Amino acid sequence: MLETINLTKRYEDGQVAVDRLTFKVEPGEIFCLFGANGAGKTTLINLFLNFLPPTEGTALIEGIDVTKEPLRSKDYVSFVSENVTLYGNFTAFQNLDYFSKLAGKRGLTKADYAAALKSVGLQEEAFDSRTRTYSKGMRQKLGLAVALLKDAPNILLDEPTSGLDPKSGREFLHLLTDMRDRGKSILMSTHDIFRAKLIADRVGFMKRGRLVMLKTRAELAGEDLTELYIQYMEELD
Amino acid sequence: MLRDIIKKEILETITSPKFVFTFLLCTILILLSIFTGISNYRAEKKEFDAALALNRKNLESQPSYQALAGLGTKINRPPQVLSTIASGVTEAVGRVATVNIAYDPNLVDSKYESNPVFSIFGALDLSFIVKIVLSLFAILFTYDAIVGEKERGTLKLTLSNRVPRDRLIMGKVIGGYISLLIPLIIPLILSLLILLVYPNITLAGEDWIRLLLMFLIFFLYLSVFFTLGLFVSARTSKSSTSFLVLLFVWVVFVTVIPKVSVLVASQLNPIPSVHEITAKKDAFLQQIQGSGQKEAQDWVKANSPKQGEDRKVFQEKFRKYLEDLQQSLTAKIDENNASLERDYQLRKSSQGRLAVNLSRVSPASALMFASMSLARTGVDEHDRFLASIRAYKPIFTKWANEKYMRTLDLSGTGQTAKVVLDDMPAHKFDAESLSKSLARTIPDFGVMIFLIIIFFAGAYVSFLKYDVR
Repeated sequence: MLETINLTKRYEDGQVAVDRLTFKVEPGEIFCLFGANGAGKTTLINLFLNFLPPTEGTALIEGIDVTKEPLRSKDYVSFVSENVTLYGNFTAFQNLDYFSKLAGKRGLTKADYAAALKSVGLQEEAFDSRTRTYSKGMRQKLGLAVALLKDAPNILLDEPTSGLDPKSGREFLHLLTDMRDRGKSILMSTHDIFRAKLIADRVGFMKRGRLVMLKTRAELAGEDLTELYIQYMEELD
Repeated sequence: MLRDIIKKEILETITSPKFVFTFLLCTILILLSIFTGISNYRAEKKEFDAALALNRKNLESQPSYQALAGLGTKINRPPQVLSTIASGVTEAVGRVATVNIAYDPNLVDSKYESNPVFSIFGALDLSFIVKIVLSLFAILFTYDAIVGEKERGTLKLTLSNRVPRDRLIMGKVIGGYISLLIPLIIPLILSLLILLVYPNITLAGEDWIRLLLMFLIFFLYLSVFFTLGLFVSARTSKSSTSFLVLLFVWVVFVTVIPKVSVLVASQLNPIPSVHEITAKKDAFLQQIQGSGQKEAQDWVKANSPKQGEDRKVFQEKFRKYLEDLQQSLTAKIDENNASLERDYQLRKSSQGRLAVNLSRVSPASALMFASMSLARTGVDEHDRFLASIRAYKPIFTKWANEKYMRTLDLSGTGQTAKVVLDDMPAHKFDAESLSKSLARTIPDFGVMIFLIIIFFAGAYVSFLKYDVR
């Protein structure tokens, strides 16, 4: 489970990126976070990963305070960024091998890596190619395979579908729903309203660091998410 | 985990195109420099042996000791076998000095003097390649070591795992350094093998120690730029900025500081020109010759044989008087010249020391000083060799004068004594001992180690606080 309690991040220049944020992402839930650029979505993910110290409040991963026990908390979270590049001179196997070892997963075999790559839909002939030759979609899938092998109960995704073609985007969403179905807590920051609507169990709109709206899948039924987004953003300006 | 990070660093580098390029270029340049060094050394050795034989032949063919004293003997600087690695100043300074009764000896006929075109490009020895090319490679390997991972997003992904930052930076340092050494060590081992098996290249036991110490200073020098690269990479947020900063620092270290130090030293501690010194010496020589001539005339006036006195007795007394006078005049000239020279050398070496100490801030200068000292091809060795020749001059002139006076034909028979060189004193020069060379390189090793510690600590601390976003 991912949780924040009164989490606040104020930068040195006085700008408030995250403002007294309190929310949870439950196991088996996909939580999609919307917001304009600078709304605080990426800062929130950085706070979960302890790349930034919070000004106030707490971020918890599986109940572990990420500021107090940063290394331990990372055992329970996987991260997929907007532009997964990994190591371009390495093959998919080599990248998986390295990141799995960093994640503490030792003893995995090439067959395990191949299974992970197959499950994210990467073509078999690409397994031994250097990843610098990969398309964006292939790299995102590889990033997800890294997360898959780590098998952490929580997944943070920072705009993972931006720039993906429709087919890759759809495959990517399938993978996320699979993971959700296996009980993972998934927090995804995104601008991709259409795709998010397909998979999100809950959505939240962020503005100036605050969660200004929260809606469940049921509440979203029949709503035009784009209109809702624009409406909320304009109302609060 | 540390092992995984090290392994990844090595694997990532050796599978990159820059590694292949670096490895090929390093191998070509290092081997080329060794072959050039060996070829130069062999040519110099051949020239040296030929010059020794020719000098002896020339001296023996002189018609008299008077001619021999005037012509003088030539002292050639013996080539140093380690000039194959660091040629130092050997190509810029003179290789041969003429020791005669008239002038103060000076080393002339440098390689650059014989062919000034060489001076434009300098020597392509290993120390030059390490100083210029390999230091740039060290920068190329490290400028994006941290900031590049941040740009690619791999740093964030790595640190989203249970990876302590101190371990990650240590892994990057160790793995990166091993990756940098691989393209160096292989051609360096090949170079050692070439030196070992090449005909006419003999390295004594001490030479091997010197050679290994030279390699050690090369590695330390590259470590300075390696740690500097990591430090700058951990202080910047764009790899292009990191590269520019490193390039700027490289230019300052490699070219600006050494040149500015010389200029500053010459301004702070000016010395008279060589021409001024020569003019002073010439003026004293003329003065002493004039007074000597007058003294001899006065002696002849006062001691001319009176009627009935034996002329042969007079001739013998005159020869003895002339010999003493000649020795006394030469001694006065030598003393004056030595005094002028001593003063000049003291001021020159004081200026040189100041320039050296100022420029030592730069690791490039420290590298050159250390490698030249270890190869015995530096300014100090040149000065010591010149000093040994100047110390030899009074010994040679005393011997030549004695021979000349003892064989002076005052009877007017026209007979001259044959020149025999058996008892001619030999010039002696003991090359600097290893302990003394080492003592002189301590500041250079110290500078390098100090900079490595500073840059490494900077990189380490910066990375612990590095903003990975």
